[in-house]
Amino acid sequence: MNGTSINEKLLEQIDRIELSERILAWRRAMRSAPWKLYADREKYTVQSWRETEGEDIQLRRAKLVKKVLDNIEIAILDFDVIVGRPTPGVIGACTTIDVAGDYIPDLWDDDGEINLTLNANAGVDRESLDILRESSMLFKGKTAREMTEKAWEAVYGSWPKDVTDAKIKDPTLDVSIYGQVTSVLMWDKILSKGLGHFIDEARSHIDAFRRRKDPDVSKLYFWESAVIVCQAVIDHARRYAALARDMAASEKDPARRAELLKIAETCQYVPEHPARTFREALQAMAIVNVCKLLEHPMHNFAQWGRGDQYLYPYFKNDIENGTVTLEEAAELLAELIGRWGTQIFVTNESQRESHQVNFGINNILLGGLDKEGKDASNELSYLFLHLVGLLQLSSPTVGIRWNRQTPDWLMKKAIETNMKTKGGIPLFQNDEVMICHYMDDGIPYEEACQWCGLGCVYPCLPTRAEHYGAEGIAGYNLAAVLHLALHNGVAVTGKRVGLETGDPRNFKTFDELYDAFKAQHRYVTERIFHLAAIARNEQHKYLRLPLISTLGLQASMDLGQDVLIPHPDYAMFGISDRAVIDVADSLIAVKKLVFEERKLTMEELMAALDSNFEGPRGEEIRQLCLRQPKFGNDIDEVDLMAKDVSAFSAGVIRSYDNAPFRNYMVAREGLAWHYFGGLGVGALPNGRKAREPLNDGSASPMRGMDTNGPTAVIRSVLKAGFEDSYAQVLNQKFTAAILGSEESREKLMQFTKAFMLGGGTHIQYNITDTEELKEAKVKPQEHKDLIVRIGGFSAYFVQLSPEIQNDVIDRSEQTL
Amino acid sequence: MKTVVTNIQGYSLHDGPGIRTVVFLKGCPLRCRWCANPEGLLPEIQIGFLKNLCAGCGKCFGVCPENALTEDRIRHRIDYGKCTACGKCADVCDYKALVRYGREMSVGDVFDAVRRDKMFYDTSGGGVTVSGGEPLLQAGFVKALFELCRAENINTCAETSGFIPAGNLLEVLPLTDYLLFDLKLMDLEKHRYYTGQWNDIILSNARLAAEQGADILFRIPLIPGVNDDEENIAATAAFIKELPGQQRAQLMPFHRLGDSKYKALNLENAMRATEVMTPEQVEAVRRRFEDCGVTCSISK
Repeated sequence: MNGTSINEKLLEQIDRIELSERILAWRRAMRSAPWKLYADREKYTVQSWRETEGEDIQLRRAKLVKKVLDNIEIAILDFDVIVGRPTPGVIGACTTIDVAGDYIPDLWDDDGEINLTLNANAGVDRESLDILRESSMLFKGKTAREMTEKAWEAVYGSWPKDVTDAKIKDPTLDVSIYGQVTSVLMWDKILSKGLGHFIDEARSHIDAFRRRKDPDVSKLYFWESAVIVCQAVIDHARRYAALARDMAASEKDPARRAELLKIAETCQYVPEHPARTFREALQAMAIVNVCKLLEHPMHNFAQWGRGDQYLYPYFKNDIENGTVTLEEAAELLAELIGRWGTQIFVTNESQRESHQVNFGINNILLGGLDKEGKDASNELSYLFLHLVGLLQLSSPTVGIRWNRQTPDWLMKKAIETNMKTKGGIPLFQNDEVMICHYMDDGIPYEEACQWCGLGCVYPCLPTRAEHYGAEGIAGYNLAAVLHLALHNGVAVTGKRVGLETGDPRNFKTFDELYDAFKAQHRYVTERIFHLAAIARNEQHKYLRLPLISTLGLQASMDLGQDVLIPHPDYAMFGISDRAVIDVADSLIAVKKLVFEERKLTMEELMAALDSNFEGPRGEEIRQLCLRQPKFGNDIDEVDLMAKDVSAFSAGVIRSYDNAPFRNYMVAREGLAWHYFGGLGVGALPNGRKAREPLNDGSASPMRGMDTNGPTAVIRSVLKAGFEDSYAQVLNQKFTAAILGSEESREKLMQFTKAFMLGGGTHIQYNITDTEELKEAKVKPQEHKDLIVRIGGFSAYFVQLSPEIQNDVIDRSEQTL
Repeated sequence: MKTVVTNIQGYSLHDGPGIRTVVFLKGCPLRCRWCANPEGLLPEIQIGFLKNLCAGCGKCFGVCPENALTEDRIRHRIDYGKCTACGKCADVCDYKALVRYGREMSVGDVFDAVRRDKMFYDTSGGGVTVSGGEPLLQAGFVKALFELCRAENINTCAETSGFIPAGNLLEVLPLTDYLLFDLKLMDLEKHRYYTGQWNDIILSNARLAAEQGADILFRIPLIPGVNDDEENIAATAAFIKELPGQQRAQLMPFHRLGDSKYKALNLENAMRATEVMTPEQVEAVRRRFEDCGVTCSISK
């Protein structure tokens, strides 16, 4: 389906769709319901684990999944038409003690209260608390995560913990990423073949295995585990069918009774059989996803994949045949987007600090090239955008796979949706650049063109096992590495975790400093990758994911091997080396101030940094630092520095010998990480104070420092190139007035196109809200970049007098 | 060839087709009371003082060779009787409270800055817009700039008040793809009262440009109590309608955002207290133009 045969009438109808009463009822219930922790999963996990003591790990995990799916409390809520939640509440969470161990702080305190780091105070009753404690007792010291940490400790002592404490290594994923291998499930196959087919496939492998007299019994265990979990998922759906029938029997309202009977009919049929309708397809996805979450409650970084593609045939058929009306289809889809977008999970403190939210992050990419090289945007892509604009949720992350064929109607809708969501949704990723990246790394086009998004903006292939975040080490912090270089290997915690590269006060040339940074970088990289390799070697001894393997990766089925055991032909590894721009700006500032213009000695600079610019000359030196060239203003010197830092860091990562596996790729993702990353970094020579956030995104200029306008930012980013990274995130900020008219929105499309044609990887637009303008009034120094433009008039916001600033704020409120 | 440029602004969306870079040249023969860019009036470099950004650090006092900086941070820091606009104070001001309006640039400098955004012009059909001040007072500079732009397929646009010698207009028009022509008031004396000059030259230049077949957008700053009366609207519409070619108009509703710049230059803002029009009022004027047979839009 390409742009020329698009049903324009349908697009117009989509534009008129509003959220239905049912969806609004769900939203009200969700917002008013207390978030609750459910220990049911933990209860059956403990039961199963005791029953299977001594059995093979693969079968034990499969039986655990079956036990949970057969017994966990389920519910159908008043407004549900699509059923399936991991907990019976409107909004609930379950823990992951069997996967990640005793990660909940204070679980052992006996005062009846535990400090769950849910955003709100989660309700948890005494009985549930006892179950959690029992589970903690059973799994303490025996989970994959803890066993891996023991293995790390055996080699590196306290170093892994020290670098985590110092925020050099990103710890956010220690818990949640555990076993977070593979990318998106094979939705296409799940919907078009049904789980019955998976069972047949596994059984035929089992038959062949016996005929072959294959000695590797682990394969047999895998295929047997595949049969167990697939049947468990089918049975789980049937539990919903039975519940719906029971509820229908006592339901007085005939309309609701009909709905319940429809639910029962649907859940009896899918996901065992191929979906026949849009409703069946969405219902199959809902059930399978719930089962996936119950296998691994934090495995929710990527659910949709290319949802507008595999769902399209069902949507198109049903609309054309009149099986559903557009309004019904939209309501069904909104229900699933909403459900998946409000999945919460229980995290530990560090994850909370980093991600700010406890909502699972899921991702959908729309449009993009298909196997024939045509753009595949369709009416369903349009509907997704429309619903995301209406729902206003923090998840999913929605991206447009931009390529030269991306139709204007999709871009127009995308920019309009952006106006509604304000916060960078949808984002735009360069389809062509991404596919080229994969092809450069030896992936054939037919596979590369299927790329999806994981979490924020991390790319992945559904045909490969994505060992996301290098086995629990998602990334590291280049700004903290620079901090090590400036402090002879000592981190903000006061512990020496880096090399002794010398006291910077004795550096005679800029190159000595840059070399110290590089030496620290190599040291940290090498150790972190070794930690990852150890983790890879250890974790599958203690954890397997039979359901995610079977439904997520064809190679797992073909090889009879769990995804947690990496296979050289299918495993992909990536890591984020963040804060390139902070490092480049800082290096240039030292270069100019100390070694070229000699306005400061290294002694003076270090004294200012170590006193956090608070000493007698602190503020003066900070202002000097701030006035040095900053990335994002089309200044060659610093842009090329960013290019060099990027190329160096990516070069170290990409050339790391990861045999027998593929080398690492670089993907600088993470949309909220900069708050957290800043905590591990003292004052920097770019003028940033200690503990303050680093730059957001990974290609964004320092906050308030891009004073030459948006086109200069783009020129800087394209000049630096960042060719070695799969993801390089540029957050571009606009005041609402700039996007106020249809004409200016059209120009934003053309702006995006210019960026993409120039080879840019990723751009997203944040609309400055009124609150930010109000803040800029009070803190002008941090908002020097805010430009106000109104036909023929242009000024920096901070230069306006207070009453005029109020005028602008009023205008902004009118536009939004 | 050099001139004083107030500002070069990329990603301009409202001053001609596509994404544009607007080059503001300093110096204007008119003194419109509603002017939003008073830093463009004088042709030479000026220093402005933004008192709400001043932290009172006093660093500027040490560097002024003319002793032109006063202690008076509340009213105004600069004694313009003494200031030579050397800019030393602006260079040392950490808080950007002292700012330099204007810098001297050659045609080559300006063109280099313009050319950098070629990729955005290409996708959007944009290009360069010269504005001001009154850019066509410096027709030679503009012509040289536009010649360079034409050679690289960069779309050219000039925004003019029309108060220029006809020869200047004729010099630039053949190289201009798009003309933004301001029409303020139709009454001769009222025009003189509000802008300092009669409008006869402006109107004849408008006719001249239309006769030359230029692609014109007539821009009408819509100023409450000045030119929003029925009589002026009808006369403006009639004038535009009678010109050869299909002419369009655009309303530029009055706003008060320029007030800070008046303060920065210690100038009196005659229209400080004027209320802005509501969107409904502006729309009513737009409809009046349409009723008179003139295609009319509103600038955002």
